[in-house]
Amino acid sequence: MTNQPISRERFAMLAEEAGLKLTAEQFEELREGYGFVQRMQRVVRRPRDRAAEPAHIFVHPRAEG
Amino acid sequence: MMDPTQLTIAEASRAIAAGELSPVALTEAYLDRIAALDGELHSYVLVLRDQALKSAQTPARGPLHGIPIGLKDIYKTAGIRTTAGSRRYLDHVPTEDAATWARLRDAGAILLGKQETHEFAIGGPDFTLPFAPARNPWNTAHYPAGSSSGSAVAVAAGLCAGAMGSDTGGSIRGPAAYCGIVGLKPTYGRVSRRGVFPLSYTLDHCGPLTRTVEDCAIMMQALAGYDPQDPASADAPVPDYRAALTSRLEGARIGVIRHFHERDAVADFGPESAPSATYLAAFNAACHTLESLGARLVDVQLSPLVDYLDANRLIMLAEAYALHEQDFRERPQDFGHHMFARIGLGAFLSAADYVEAMRQRRELCVEFARAIDGLDAVVSANSTGPAPRIDGIPTFTTFERASYTGPYNLTGSPALSVPIGFEDGLPLAFQIAGKPFDEAGVMRVGHAFEQATDFHRQRPAIAAPLPGRA
Repeated sequence: MTNQPISRERFAMLAEEAGLKLTAEQFEELREGYGFVQRMQRVVRRPRDRAAEPAHIFVHPRAEG
Repeated sequence: MMDPTQLTIAEASRAIAAGELSPVALTEAYLDRIAALDGELHSYVLVLRDQALKSAQTPARGPLHGIPIGLKDIYKTAGIRTTAGSRRYLDHVPTEDAATWARLRDAGAILLGKQETHEFAIGGPDFTLPFAPARNPWNTAHYPAGSSSGSAVAVAAGLCAGAMGSDTGGSIRGPAAYCGIVGLKPTYGRVSRRGVFPLSYTLDHCGPLTRTVEDCAIMMQALAGYDPQDPASADAPVPDYRAALTSRLEGARIGVIRHFHERDAVADFGPESAPSATYLAAFNAACHTLESLGARLVDVQLSPLVDYLDANRLIMLAEAYALHEQDFRERPQDFGHHMFARIGLGAFLSAADYVEAMRQRRELCVEFARAIDGLDAVVSANSTGPAPRIDGIPTFTTFERASYTGPYNLTGSPALSVPIGFEDGLPLAFQIAGKPFDEAGVMRVGHAFEQATDFHRQRPAIAAPLPGRA
Protein backbone atom coordinates (compact mmCIF):
# COMPACT_ATOMS: atom_id res chain seq x y z
CA MET A 1 0.00 0.00 0.00
CA THR A 2 1.30 3.44 -0.79
CA ASN A 3 -1.34 5.47 1.05
CA GLN A 4 -0.61 7.50 4.16
CA PRO A 5 -2.38 5.68 7.01
CA ILE A 6 -5.61 7.42 7.94
CA SER A 7 -5.37 9.23 11.27
CA ARG A 8 -7.00 7.70 14.32
CA GLU A 9 -9.22 10.73 14.71
CA ARG A 10 -10.46 10.65 11.12
CA PHE A 11 -10.99 6.89 11.20
CA ALA A 12 -12.88 7.11 14.50
CA MET A 13 -15.24 9.55 12.82
CA LEU A 14 -15.80 7.23 9.86
CA ALA A 15 -16.47 4.27 12.16
CA GLU A 16 -18.93 6.29 14.19
CA GLU A 17 -20.74 7.42 11.05
CA ALA A 18 -20.97 3.77 9.99
CA GLY A 19 -22.52 2.88 13.34
CA LEU A 20 -19.71 0.49 14.28
CA LYS A 21 -18.72 -0.05 17.89
CA LEU A 22 -15.17 -1.37 17.66
CA THR A 23 -12.85 -2.85 20.23
CA ALA A 24 -9.37 -1.36 20.31
CA GLU A 25 -8.04 -4.34 18.36
CA GLN A 26 -10.78 -4.14 15.73
CA PHE A 27 -10.26 -0.41 15.41
CA GLU A 28 -6.56 -0.77 14.67
CA GLU A 29 -7.05 -3.69 12.30
CA LEU A 30 -9.73 -1.96 10.26
CA ARG A 31 -7.70 1.25 10.25
CA GLU A 32 -4.81 -0.74 8.78
CA GLY A 33 -7.12 -2.37 6.24
CA TYR A 34 -8.57 0.99 5.22
CA GLY A 35 -5.55 1.43 2.98
CA PHE A 36 -6.94 -1.33 0.76
CA VAL A 37 -10.25 0.54 0.52
CA GLN A 38 -8.35 3.63 -0.60
CA ARG A 39 -6.53 1.62 -3.27
CA MET A 40 -9.79 0.16 -4.56
CA GLN A 41 -11.39 3.59 -4.69
CA ARG A 42 -8.41 4.93 -6.60
CA VAL A 43 -8.55 2.08 -9.12
CA VAL A 44 -12.26 2.39 -9.93
CA ARG A 45 -12.61 6.18 -9.78
CA ARG A 46 -11.34 7.46 -13.10
CA PRO A 47 -12.60 9.85 -15.77
CA ARG A 48 -15.47 8.34 -17.74
CA ASP A 49 -17.97 9.50 -20.28
CA ARG A 50 -21.16 10.40 -18.45
CA ALA A 51 -22.99 7.93 -20.68
CA ALA A 52 -20.87 5.01 -19.44
CA GLU A 53 -23.44 2.81 -17.73
CA PRO A 54 -22.81 0.41 -14.86
CA ALA A 55 -22.76 -3.34 -15.44
CA HIS A 56 -26.07 -3.98 -13.74
CA ILE A 57 -29.32 -2.55 -15.02
CA PHE A 58 -32.87 -2.74 -13.78
CA VAL A 59 -34.70 -5.81 -15.01
CA HIS A 60 -38.44 -6.23 -14.59
CA PRO A 61 -38.94 -9.30 -12.40
CA ARG A 62 -41.12 -12.14 -13.63
CA ALA A 63 -44.20 -13.00 -11.66
CA GLU A 64 -42.71 -16.30 -10.45
CA GLY A 65 -39.49 -14.64 -9.29
CA MET B 1 -13.73 -55.30 -6.06
CA MET B 2 -11.10 -52.65 -5.36
CA ASP B 3 -11.90 -49.84 -2.92
CA PRO B 4 -14.85 -48.17 -4.70
CA THR B 5 -13.90 -44.73 -3.37
CA GLN B 6 -10.94 -44.83 -5.76
CA LEU B 7 -13.38 -44.68 -8.68
CA THR B 8 -14.32 -41.45 -10.42
CA ILE B 9 -17.99 -40.56 -10.69
CA ALA B 10 -17.99 -41.82 -14.28
CA GLU B 11 -16.42 -45.15 -13.26
CA ALA B 12 -18.65 -45.62 -10.22
CA SER B 13 -21.76 -44.85 -12.28
CA ARG B 14 -20.77 -47.48 -14.82
CA ALA B 15 -20.13 -50.03 -12.08
CA ILE B 16 -23.50 -49.28 -10.43
CA ALA B 17 -25.33 -49.48 -13.76
CA ALA B 18 -23.65 -52.82 -14.51
CA GLY B 19 -24.66 -54.19 -11.12
CA GLU B 20 -21.02 -54.57 -10.06
CA LEU B 21 -21.28 -52.01 -7.25
CA SER B 22 -24.18 -51.13 -4.98
CA PRO B 23 -24.87 -47.55 -3.84
CA VAL B 24 -24.97 -48.86 -0.26
CA ALA B 25 -21.47 -50.37 -0.52
CA LEU B 26 -20.13 -47.19 -2.10
CA THR B 27 -21.74 -44.97 0.53
CA GLU B 28 -20.48 -47.18 3.37
CA ALA B 29 -16.97 -47.04 1.95
CA TYR B 30 -17.02 -43.23 1.90
CA LEU B 31 -18.49 -43.06 5.42
CA ASP B 32 -15.74 -45.38 6.66
CA ARG B 33 -13.11 -43.10 5.16
CA ILE B 34 -14.69 -40.03 6.73
CA ALA B 35 -14.71 -41.76 10.13
CA ALA B 36 -11.09 -42.81 9.76
CA LEU B 37 -9.55 -39.68 8.25
CA ASP B 38 -11.62 -36.57 8.81
CA GLY B 39 -10.40 -36.08 12.35
CA GLU B 40 -7.19 -34.92 10.71
CA LEU B 41 -8.67 -33.14 7.69
CA HIS B 42 -11.74 -31.38 9.18
CA SER B 43 -13.51 -31.33 5.83
CA TYR B 44 -16.99 -32.07 7.23
CA VAL B 45 -18.95 -30.09 9.82
CA LEU B 46 -21.82 -32.58 9.78
CA VAL B 47 -21.86 -36.22 8.62
CA LEU B 48 -25.27 -37.68 7.72
CA ARG B 49 -24.50 -41.36 8.14
CA ASP B 50 -27.99 -42.76 8.71
CA GLN B 51 -29.64 -40.53 6.16
CA ALA B 52 -27.00 -41.30 3.52
CA LEU B 53 -27.33 -45.05 3.99
CA LYS B 54 -31.12 -44.78 3.79
CA SER B 55 -30.87 -42.74 0.58
CA ALA B 56 -28.50 -45.31 -0.88
CA GLN B 57 -31.26 -47.91 -0.70
CA THR B 58 -33.73 -45.99 -2.86
CA PRO B 59 -34.39 -47.08 -6.45
CA ALA B 60 -32.48 -45.50 -9.32
CA ARG B 61 -33.59 -41.92 -9.97
CA GLY B 62 -31.18 -40.50 -12.54
CA PRO B 63 -27.68 -40.27 -13.96
CA LEU B 64 -26.08 -39.66 -10.55
CA HIS B 65 -27.76 -42.70 -9.00
CA GLY B 66 -25.86 -43.81 -5.92
CA ILE B 67 -23.09 -41.19 -6.16
CA PRO B 68 -22.14 -39.84 -2.69
CA ILE B 69 -21.43 -36.12 -2.61
CA GLY B 70 -20.98 -33.29 -0.12
CA LEU B 71 -22.28 -29.73 0.08
CA LYS B 72 -20.47 -26.64 1.29
CA ASP B 73 -22.28 -25.62 4.46
CA ILE B 74 -23.80 -22.53 2.86
CA TYR B 75 -26.15 -24.72 0.78
CA LYS B 76 -29.49 -24.91 2.55
CA THR B 77 -30.78 -28.40 3.31
CA ALA B 78 -34.32 -28.84 4.58
CA GLY B 79 -34.34 -30.24 8.10
CA ILE B 80 -30.54 -30.36 8.23
CA ARG B 81 -28.43 -27.78 10.05
CA THR B 82 -26.82 -25.21 7.75
CA THR B 83 -24.42 -22.88 9.56
CA ALA B 84 -22.62 -20.85 6.85
CA GLY B 85 -19.62 -21.50 9.07
CA SER B 86 -20.82 -18.88 11.53
CA ARG B 87 -21.83 -18.70 15.19
CA ARG B 88 -24.72 -16.56 13.90
CA TYR B 89 -26.33 -19.64 12.32
CA LEU B 90 -24.96 -22.36 14.55
CA ASP B 91 -28.43 -23.81 15.20
CA HIS B 92 -30.02 -22.82 11.91
CA VAL B 93 -32.15 -25.56 10.34
CA PRO B 94 -33.63 -24.44 7.01
CA THR B 95 -37.03 -25.52 5.82
CA GLU B 96 -36.04 -25.60 2.14
CA ASP B 97 -33.37 -27.16 -0.03
CA ALA B 98 -30.99 -25.22 -2.23
CA ALA B 99 -32.19 -25.58 -5.82
CA THR B 100 -28.87 -27.18 -6.77
CA TRP B 101 -29.09 -29.82 -4.06
CA ALA B 102 -32.65 -30.61 -5.16
CA ARG B 103 -31.39 -31.11 -8.73
CA LEU B 104 -28.53 -33.37 -7.62
CA ARG B 105 -30.81 -35.38 -5.33
CA ASP B 106 -33.37 -35.79 -8.10
CA ALA B 107 -30.55 -37.07 -10.32
CA GLY B 108 -29.81 -39.75 -7.70
CA ALA B 109 -26.94 -38.23 -5.69
CA ILE B 110 -26.55 -39.18 -2.02
CA LEU B 111 -25.70 -36.50 0.54
CA LEU B 112 -22.86 -37.60 2.84
CA GLY B 113 -22.78 -34.37 4.80
CA LYS B 114 -22.16 -30.66 5.03
CA GLN B 115 -18.64 -29.43 4.43
CA GLU B 116 -16.49 -26.84 6.14
CA THR B 117 -16.61 -23.32 4.71
CA HIS B 118 -14.99 -20.03 5.53
CA GLU B 119 -17.50 -17.97 7.51
CA PHE B 120 -20.13 -16.67 5.07
CA ALA B 121 -17.77 -17.80 2.28
CA ILE B 122 -15.14 -15.14 3.07
CA GLY B 123 -13.83 -15.32 6.66
CA GLY B 124 -11.16 -17.97 6.90
CA PRO B 125 -9.11 -19.87 7.78
CA ASP B 126 -10.30 -18.75 11.20
CA PHE B 127 -9.26 -20.69 14.29
CA THR B 128 -11.70 -18.66 16.45
CA LEU B 129 -14.77 -20.26 14.83
CA PRO B 130 -16.66 -23.29 16.19
CA PHE B 131 -15.46 -25.49 13.31
CA ALA B 132 -11.75 -26.11 12.74
CA PRO B 133 -10.49 -25.04 9.32
CA ALA B 134 -10.06 -27.86 6.80
CA ARG B 135 -6.51 -29.01 6.09
CA ASN B 136 -4.77 -29.57 2.77
CA PRO B 137 -4.72 -33.35 2.14
CA TRP B 138 -1.31 -33.12 0.41
CA ASN B 139 0.23 -31.73 3.60
CA THR B 140 -2.02 -31.04 6.55
CA ALA B 141 0.22 -28.22 7.78
CA HIS B 142 -0.79 -26.33 4.65
CA TYR B 143 -3.79 -24.30 3.54
CA PRO B 144 -6.35 -25.80 1.16
CA ALA B 145 -7.50 -22.27 0.15
CA GLY B 146 -11.09 -21.24 0.53
CA SER B 147 -13.79 -20.56 0.92
CA SER B 148 -14.99 -23.95 -0.35
CA SER B 149 -12.23 -25.56 1.73
CA GLY B 150 -14.01 -28.61 3.09
CA SER B 151 -15.51 -29.47 -0.29
CA ALA B 152 -12.16 -29.42 -2.10
CA VAL B 153 -10.38 -31.29 0.69
CA ALA B 154 -13.03 -34.02 0.80
CA VAL B 155 -12.90 -34.56 -2.98
CA ALA B 156 -9.10 -34.66 -3.05
CA ALA B 157 -8.84 -36.99 -0.05
CA GLY B 158 -11.50 -39.39 -1.31
CA LEU B 159 -14.07 -38.48 1.32
CA CYS B 160 -16.75 -37.90 -1.33
CA ALA B 161 -17.02 -38.43 -5.08
CA GLY B 162 -17.84 -34.82 -5.86
CA ALA B 163 -18.92 -31.70 -4.03
CA MET B 164 -20.55 -28.32 -4.41
CA GLY B 165 -18.75 -25.06 -3.74
CA SER B 166 -19.44 -21.41 -4.35
CA ASP B 167 -17.23 -18.80 -5.98
CA THR B 168 -17.33 -14.99 -5.59
CA GLY B 169 -13.67 -14.25 -6.26
CA GLY B 170 -12.20 -17.72 -6.64
CA SER B 171 -13.67 -19.83 -3.84
CA ILE B 172 -14.11 -22.90 -6.05
CA ARG B 173 -11.02 -22.52 -8.26
CA GLY B 174 -8.59 -21.56 -5.49
CA PRO B 175 -9.27 -24.66 -3.38
CA ALA B 176 -9.33 -26.80 -6.53
CA ALA B 177 -5.84 -25.52 -7.37
CA TYR B 178 -4.31 -26.06 -3.94
CA CYS B 179 -5.93 -29.50 -3.55
CA GLY B 180 -5.04 -30.78 -7.03
CA ILE B 181 -8.57 -31.33 -8.32
CA VAL B 182 -10.95 -29.84 -10.90
CA GLY B 183 -13.22 -26.92 -10.04
CA LEU B 184 -15.67 -25.12 -12.31
CA LYS B 185 -17.18 -21.69 -11.84
CA PRO B 186 -19.96 -21.77 -14.42
CA THR B 187 -21.28 -18.74 -16.29
CA TYR B 188 -23.21 -16.27 -14.11
CA GLY B 189 -26.82 -17.38 -14.50
CA ARG B 190 -26.08 -20.96 -15.59
CA VAL B 191 -26.52 -22.66 -12.19
CA SER B 192 -29.13 -21.51 -9.69
CA ARG B 193 -27.99 -19.75 -6.52
CA ARG B 194 -31.39 -20.12 -4.85
CA GLY B 195 -31.09 -21.43 -1.33
CA VAL B 196 -27.37 -20.70 -1.00
CA PHE B 197 -26.25 -18.11 1.58
CA PRO B 198 -25.22 -15.08 -0.47
CA LEU B 199 -21.93 -13.24 -0.16
CA SER B 200 -22.24 -10.85 -3.11
CA TYR B 201 -25.34 -10.98 -5.28
CA THR B 202 -23.78 -9.99 -8.59
CA LEU B 203 -20.59 -12.04 -8.19
CA ASP B 204 -21.73 -15.30 -6.53
CA HIS B 205 -21.63 -18.50 -8.56
CA CYS B 206 -22.37 -22.12 -7.59
CA GLY B 207 -20.38 -24.96 -9.12
CA PRO B 208 -18.90 -28.43 -8.74
CA LEU B 209 -15.56 -29.73 -7.47
CA THR B 210 -14.51 -33.12 -8.87
CA ARG B 211 -11.47 -35.30 -9.51
CA THR B 212 -11.74 -35.14 -13.31
CA VAL B 213 -13.22 -32.91 -15.98
CA GLU B 214 -15.49 -35.76 -17.10
CA ASP B 215 -16.94 -35.91 -13.58
CA CYS B 216 -17.41 -32.14 -13.70
CA ALA B 217 -19.38 -32.55 -16.95
CA ILE B 218 -21.56 -35.22 -15.36
CA MET B 219 -22.40 -33.01 -12.38
CA MET B 220 -22.99 -29.99 -14.60
CA GLN B 221 -25.52 -31.95 -16.62
CA ALA B 222 -27.64 -32.22 -13.50
CA LEU B 223 -26.94 -28.69 -12.24
CA ALA B 224 -27.35 -26.47 -15.29
CA GLY B 225 -30.71 -25.01 -16.19
CA TYR B 226 -33.13 -22.16 -15.75
CA ASP B 227 -34.59 -21.41 -12.32
CA PRO B 228 -37.32 -18.77 -12.44
CA GLN B 229 -36.91 -18.22 -8.69
CA ASP B 230 -33.29 -17.10 -9.02
CA PRO B 231 -33.45 -13.52 -10.36
CA ALA B 232 -30.09 -13.96 -12.11
CA SER B 233 -30.87 -17.32 -13.70
CA ALA B 234 -30.58 -17.42 -17.47
CA ASP B 235 -32.96 -19.30 -19.73
CA ALA B 236 -30.21 -20.64 -22.00
CA PRO B 237 -30.08 -24.06 -23.72
CA VAL B 238 -28.05 -26.73 -21.92
CA PRO B 239 -25.91 -28.89 -24.24
CA ASP B 240 -24.75 -32.47 -23.70
CA TYR B 241 -21.58 -31.74 -21.75
CA ARG B 242 -20.02 -35.20 -21.91
CA ALA B 243 -20.62 -35.40 -25.65
CA ALA B 244 -18.54 -32.23 -26.06
CA LEU B 245 -15.43 -33.79 -24.50
CA THR B 246 -12.67 -34.73 -26.94
CA SER B 247 -9.08 -35.85 -26.60
CA ARG B 248 -7.71 -33.55 -29.32
CA LEU B 249 -7.97 -29.80 -29.96
CA GLU B 250 -7.31 -29.51 -33.71
CA GLY B 251 -8.64 -26.22 -35.03
CA ALA B 252 -9.06 -24.66 -31.61
CA ARG B 253 -7.78 -21.11 -31.10
CA ILE B 254 -6.85 -20.52 -27.48
CA GLY B 255 -5.82 -17.17 -26.02
CA VAL B 256 -3.11 -16.97 -23.39
CA ILE B 257 -3.21 -14.15 -20.81
CA ARG B 258 0.39 -13.95 -19.64
CA HIS B 259 0.70 -10.37 -18.45
CA PHE B 260 -1.53 -10.93 -15.41
CA HIS B 261 1.08 -13.16 -13.76
CA GLU B 262 4.25 -12.24 -15.65
CA ARG B 263 3.98 -8.43 -15.26
CA ASP B 264 0.94 -7.12 -13.38
CA ALA B 265 1.21 -9.22 -10.23
CA VAL B 266 4.50 -7.73 -9.10
CA ALA B 267 3.88 -4.29 -10.64
CA ASP B 268 0.60 -3.77 -8.80
CA PHE B 269 0.84 -6.00 -5.72
CA GLY B 270 4.57 -6.17 -4.98
CA PRO B 271 7.28 -8.84 -4.98
CA GLU B 272 5.37 -11.15 -2.62
CA SER B 273 2.97 -11.80 -5.49
CA ALA B 274 5.72 -12.97 -7.84
CA PRO B 275 5.04 -16.39 -9.43
CA SER B 276 7.47 -19.14 -8.48
CA ALA B 277 9.94 -20.31 -11.12
CA THR B 278 8.37 -23.75 -10.92
CA TYR B 279 4.94 -22.27 -11.57
CA LEU B 280 6.15 -20.31 -14.59
CA ALA B 281 7.68 -23.48 -16.03
CA ALA B 282 4.51 -25.49 -15.33
CA PHE B 283 2.30 -22.85 -16.96
CA ASN B 284 4.49 -22.73 -20.06
CA ALA B 285 4.60 -26.53 -20.25
CA ALA B 286 0.80 -26.62 -20.02
CA CYS B 287 0.57 -24.19 -22.93
CA HIS B 288 2.92 -26.39 -24.97
CA THR B 289 0.71 -29.37 -24.17
CA LEU B 290 -2.30 -27.52 -25.60
CA GLU B 291 -0.28 -26.81 -28.75
CA SER B 292 0.73 -30.46 -29.01
CA LEU B 293 -2.97 -31.34 -28.96
CA GLY B 294 -3.51 -29.24 -32.07
CA ALA B 295 -4.57 -25.90 -30.58
CA ARG B 296 -3.22 -22.63 -31.91
CA LEU B 297 -2.22 -20.24 -29.11
CA VAL B 298 -2.73 -16.48 -29.35
CA ASP B 299 -1.38 -13.88 -26.92
CA VAL B 300 -4.17 -11.87 -25.26
CA GLN B 301 -3.68 -8.37 -23.82
CA LEU B 302 -6.19 -6.94 -21.37
CA SER B 303 -6.23 -4.07 -18.88
CA PRO B 304 -3.97 -4.58 -15.85
CA LEU B 305 -4.97 -7.30 -13.40
CA VAL B 306 -5.56 -4.77 -10.61
CA ASP B 307 -8.32 -3.09 -12.66
CA TYR B 308 -10.25 -6.36 -12.67
CA LEU B 309 -9.41 -7.38 -9.12
CA ASP B 310 -10.14 -4.15 -7.32
CA ALA B 311 -13.44 -3.67 -9.14
CA ASN B 312 -14.36 -7.23 -8.15
CA ARG B 313 -13.25 -6.73 -4.55
CA LEU B 314 -14.98 -3.38 -4.12
CA ILE B 315 -18.27 -4.72 -5.47
CA MET B 316 -17.98 -7.78 -3.22
CA LEU B 317 -17.27 -5.62 -0.16
CA ALA B 318 -20.16 -3.26 -0.83
CA GLU B 319 -22.69 -6.02 -1.46
CA ALA B 320 -21.49 -8.20 1.42
CA TYR B 321 -21.47 -5.35 3.91
CA ALA B 322 -24.97 -4.30 2.93
CA LEU B 323 -26.05 -7.88 3.53
CA HIS B 324 -24.52 -8.05 7.02
CA GLU B 325 -24.70 -4.39 8.10
CA GLN B 326 -27.32 -4.88 10.78
CA ASP B 327 -25.31 -7.67 12.43
CA PHE B 328 -22.11 -5.61 12.23
CA ARG B 329 -23.87 -2.90 14.22
CA GLU B 330 -25.92 -4.98 16.62
CA ARG B 331 -24.06 -8.26 17.23
CA PRO B 332 -20.47 -7.88 16.03
CA GLN B 333 -19.30 -10.39 18.63
CA ASP B 334 -20.99 -13.15 16.62
CA PHE B 335 -18.52 -12.82 13.76
CA GLY B 336 -15.16 -14.53 13.58
CA HIS B 337 -12.05 -12.40 13.38
CA HIS B 338 -11.42 -12.67 9.62
CA MET B 339 -15.03 -12.15 8.61
CA PHE B 340 -15.30 -9.03 10.75
CA ALA B 341 -12.06 -7.50 9.53
CA ARG B 342 -12.55 -8.28 5.84
CA ILE B 343 -16.20 -7.39 5.36
CA GLY B 344 -16.05 -4.60 7.95
CA LEU B 345 -14.07 -2.61 5.40
CA GLY B 346 -17.26 -2.36 3.38
CA ALA B 347 -18.58 0.10 5.97
CA PHE B 348 -16.27 2.74 4.55
CA LEU B 349 -17.40 2.66 0.92
CA SER B 350 -19.83 5.12 -0.60
CA ALA B 351 -22.68 4.56 -3.03
CA ALA B 352 -20.63 6.39 -5.65
CA ASP B 353 -17.69 3.97 -5.11
CA TYR B 354 -20.01 1.07 -5.84
CA VAL B 355 -21.49 2.64 -8.96
CA GLU B 356 -18.03 3.53 -10.25
CA ALA B 357 -16.91 -0.08 -9.72
CA MET B 358 -19.96 -1.24 -11.64
CA ARG B 359 -19.19 1.17 -14.46
CA GLN B 360 -15.65 -0.19 -14.58
CA ARG B 361 -17.10 -3.68 -14.56
CA ARG B 362 -19.05 -3.01 -17.75
CA GLU B 363 -15.96 -1.56 -19.46
CA LEU B 364 -13.91 -4.63 -18.55
CA CYS B 365 -16.68 -7.04 -19.58
CA VAL B 366 -16.77 -5.40 -23.00
CA GLU B 367 -12.98 -5.54 -23.22
CA PHE B 368 -12.95 -9.24 -22.36
CA ALA B 369 -15.79 -10.04 -24.79
CA ARG B 370 -13.82 -8.39 -27.59
CA ALA B 371 -10.62 -10.17 -26.61
CA ILE B 372 -12.20 -13.61 -26.63
CA ASP B 373 -14.15 -13.01 -29.85
CA GLY B 374 -12.81 -15.45 -32.43
CA LEU B 375 -11.21 -17.65 -29.77
CA ASP B 376 -12.49 -20.94 -28.38
CA ALA B 377 -11.14 -20.31 -24.88
CA VAL B 378 -8.43 -18.46 -22.97
CA VAL B 379 -6.00 -19.80 -20.40
CA SER B 380 -4.52 -17.85 -17.52
CA ALA B 381 -2.77 -18.50 -14.23
CA ASN B 382 -4.40 -19.74 -11.07
CA SER B 383 -2.49 -19.50 -7.77
CA THR B 384 1.11 -19.04 -8.90
CA GLY B 385 2.81 -21.15 -6.27
CA PRO B 386 2.10 -24.00 -3.89
CA ALA B 387 -0.26 -23.76 -0.93
CA PRO B 388 1.26 -21.83 2.00
CA ARG B 389 1.16 -23.04 5.58
CA ILE B 390 -2.29 -22.70 7.13
CA ASP B 391 -0.99 -20.91 10.21
CA GLY B 392 0.45 -18.01 8.22
CA ILE B 393 -2.48 -16.63 6.25
CA PRO B 394 -2.74 -12.83 6.71
CA THR B 395 -6.08 -11.30 7.67
CA PHE B 396 -6.17 -9.15 4.55
CA THR B 397 -4.75 -11.70 2.12
CA THR B 398 -7.97 -11.25 0.12
CA PHE B 399 -6.93 -7.69 -0.72
CA GLU B 400 -3.16 -7.52 -0.55
CA ARG B 401 -2.02 -10.25 -2.93
CA ALA B 402 -2.51 -10.81 -6.63
CA SER B 403 -5.22 -13.32 -7.41
CA TYR B 404 -6.12 -14.60 -10.85
CA THR B 405 -9.62 -15.92 -10.36
CA GLY B 406 -11.54 -12.70 -9.62
CA PRO B 407 -11.51 -11.36 -13.19
CA TYR B 408 -13.89 -14.12 -14.29
CA ASN B 409 -16.31 -13.38 -11.46
CA LEU B 410 -16.36 -9.81 -12.69
CA THR B 411 -17.04 -10.86 -16.28
CA GLY B 412 -19.29 -13.77 -15.27
CA SER B 413 -17.38 -16.05 -17.63
CA PRO B 414 -17.16 -19.82 -17.17
CA ALA B 415 -13.73 -20.71 -15.73
CA LEU B 416 -12.27 -24.11 -14.95
CA SER B 417 -9.26 -24.91 -12.75
CA VAL B 418 -7.20 -27.90 -13.85
CA PRO B 419 -3.99 -29.31 -12.27
CA ILE B 420 -0.78 -28.63 -14.23
CA GLY B 421 2.01 -29.83 -11.93
CA PHE B 422 3.53 -29.88 -8.47
CA GLU B 423 5.95 -27.83 -6.39
CA ASP B 424 7.33 -29.14 -3.09
CA GLY B 425 4.80 -31.97 -3.25
CA LEU B 426 1.86 -29.54 -3.51
CA PRO B 427 -0.36 -29.09 -6.60
CA LEU B 428 -0.31 -26.27 -9.15
CA ALA B 429 -3.10 -25.34 -11.59
CA PHE B 430 -4.16 -23.03 -14.38
CA GLN B 431 -7.53 -21.74 -15.53
CA ILE B 432 -9.41 -22.25 -18.77
CA ALA B 433 -12.10 -19.61 -19.36
CA GLY B 434 -14.62 -19.19 -22.12
CA LYS B 435 -17.50 -17.27 -23.60
CA PRO B 436 -20.76 -16.95 -21.67
CA PHE B 437 -22.60 -20.29 -21.43
CA ASP B 438 -19.79 -22.18 -23.17
CA GLU B 439 -18.94 -24.47 -20.26
CA ALA B 440 -18.82 -27.23 -22.85
CA GLY B 441 -15.96 -25.53 -24.72
CA VAL B 442 -14.06 -24.88 -21.50
CA MET B 443 -14.44 -28.47 -20.34
CA ARG B 444 -13.46 -29.75 -23.79
CA VAL B 445 -10.09 -28.00 -23.46
CA GLY B 446 -9.69 -29.19 -19.87
CA HIS B 447 -10.53 -32.78 -20.71
CA ALA B 448 -8.14 -32.90 -23.65
CA PHE B 449 -5.40 -31.48 -21.42
CA GLU B 450 -6.14 -34.12 -18.79
CA GLN B 451 -5.95 -36.93 -21.33
CA ALA B 452 -2.48 -35.76 -22.35
CA THR B 453 -1.16 -35.45 -18.78
CA ASP B 454 -1.32 -37.43 -15.56
CA PHE B 455 -1.45 -34.68 -12.92
CA HIS B 456 -5.10 -35.42 -12.13
CA ARG B 457 -4.28 -39.10 -11.55
CA GLN B 458 -1.81 -38.27 -8.80
CA ARG B 459 -3.52 -38.38 -5.42
CA PRO B 460 -2.32 -37.39 -1.96
CA ALA B 461 -1.08 -40.25 0.23
CA ILE B 462 -4.09 -39.83 2.51
CA ALA B 463 -6.36 -40.70 -0.45
CA ALA B 464 -4.97 -44.24 -0.59
CA PRO B 465 -7.37 -47.09 0.25
CA LEU B 466 -7.87 -47.78 3.95
CA PRO B 467 -6.05 -50.86 5.26
CA GLY B 468 -7.90 -53.97 4.15
CA ARG B 469 -9.77 -52.08 1.41
CA ALA B 470 -7.18 -52.08 -1.38
